Amino acid sequence: MLSEQEWIILGTSLSVALRALAFSLPLAIAAAWALSRPKLPGRSVFDALVHLPVVLPPVLVGFLLLLAFGRRGPIGSWLENTFGITLAFTAEGAALATAVMTFPILVRSIRISFELADPELFDAAATLGAGPWDRFFSLALPMAAPAVLAGAVTAFAAGLGEFGAVITFAANVPGETQTLPLAIYSALQTPGGEAQALRLGGLSLVAALAGLVCAELLQRWAVRRMAS
Amino acid sequence: MLRAENLCVRRGAFELRASFEADEQGVTGVFGPSGSGKSVLLRTLAGLHPAVEGRLALGDETLDAPGSRVHTPPHRRGVGIVFQDARLFPHLSVRGNLAYGAKRAPRPAVWTLEETARRIGVDALLDRPVRALSGGEKSRVALARAILSAPRVLLLDEPFAALDGRARRGFVTLLLELNRDARMPMMVVTHQVEDAAELSDRLLAVKSGAVIASGPAAQVMNAPDFRPLLDVRDFGARLPAASVARGADTAARGVWVRADAVLIAIEEPRGLSAQNVWNGRIRGIEREAAGSFLVSVDAPPGPLQARITSSARDALSLEAGQEIWAVVKSHAI
Repeated sequence: MLSEQEWIILGTSLSVALRALAFSLPLAIAAAWALSRPKLPGRSVFDALVHLPVVLPPVLVGFLLLLAFGRRGPIGSWLENTFGITLAFTAEGAALATAVMTFPILVRSIRISFELADPELFDAAATLGAGPWDRFFSLALPMAAPAVLAGAVTAFAAGLGEFGAVITFAANVPGETQTLPLAIYSALQTPGGEAQALRLGGLSLVAALAGLVCAELLQRWAVRRMAS
Repeated sequence: MLRAENLCVRRGAFELRASFEADEQGVTGVFGPSGSGKSVLLRTLAGLHPAVEGRLALGDETLDAPGSRVHTPPHRRGVGIVFQDARLFPHLSVRGNLAYGAKRAPRPAVWTLEETARRIGVDALLDRPVRALSGGEKSRVALARAILSAPRVLLLDEPFAALDGRARRGFVTLLLELNRDARMPMMVVTHQVEDAAELSDRLLAVKSGAVIASGPAAQVMNAPDFRPLLDVRDFGARLPAASVARGADTAARGVWVRADAVLIAIEEPRGLSAQNVWNGRIRGIEREAAGSFLVSVDAPPGPLQARITSSARDALSLEAGQEIWAVVKSHAI
């Protein structure tokens, strides 16, 4: 049904989106927890920073990543000299760009769940002998699990479609950084590539829809659990 | 033993001051009207509200001393608390909730999880999700969870609030048995004077953010300054439980005999169904706002209060110092 080339594109997309998720999920959980603490100093500034990728043009995000993580950027050169890791124009770079763009989706979904958690349950856990870390891992996280899952699926589905930041930071290298949207763009640039673009578009649609339906089901489950 | 010295805690505009000693082994009642600060006091003892002045100690260990910057966090205090609203963890089953307490206990609890569940009557619920429980069942599970965390002292914040008459009586009996069998000192907040009388070895009387009296329950509850804490209909006296022929709660520490449940006779009554007839002497008579009279009587089991109408007072021409018989119907208590 799919050509070899289409399988490669789908594989690249899934791998980039998955790696982006694996990279951003722990950080998003930490950021969501911090943002759900009402007493966090500088909360609104931090909140704005986390949400910047939503409002900035994706191309600009890609460009800023290039400035920071490019081979001559301060972080990029340090990574290359210390660990031998190159991010710009690689699959890892595509994952990083995707992670930055989908980070706000994750944080938003998880944070709401943390905010809904009854603080009195944490008091009860403390009096049963649970310290702060214990309370986080035994209560906060398991109670937020449905939201974490739903957020992860939404972020993954959105990650499959990330374009501007990825093409700017990681370029459009077939088999390496060419994800579905980038392949659609390439097809459209090729004379007579409309049919191919449509096929890839259909593929994107199916993948994204599957993800969103999953997210919706998980979300409903989460709301039911919270309400009971 | 919990000991508070000039302990002060502030929550917004509310300030609570407390000096007291809790009972070493038995049950310390915390009694007072709604909003008097009973719950704030318990939360402070559990470490959930930081004290701003004074000192709180458990045995030889100082838990709070803001003056020397001592504040033991709740999870290191060994002070268990059962909240009014149970606060069970929604993502865990009943067994999971009990295990949560047991796993974190600093030393073995008196009983195993199963044995605790059996004694508290939740053994049939172990594999249920907590959202399927009734209010009374939730209170019991919360109690079992707290006992399994092996606290050095167990605080209970109005554990009867969600329960109706019969279930409440059952819970009082359960607490008394647990206190006896687990040898776990308890502090129990209640605003029901009957519960306070039945449960308490010692009692803290709390009013408007201050512990106004603390000591043996018989002494505190029969003192004149206890009356302002009561609703007019609850006026009465605490007697040792053994003195009243009822036999139901053998473990009860005392009973609250309401003034409305006491009859006065000027001759020894005969042929009555009431089993408690005591020969005593009138200590004083007060006129109440509603026109009735409150008669204080010294009787063999202890001081009593009786409420009579003004016409009854005139008909019997009662006076202080007079010899009378006080009659109490057991089931009216």
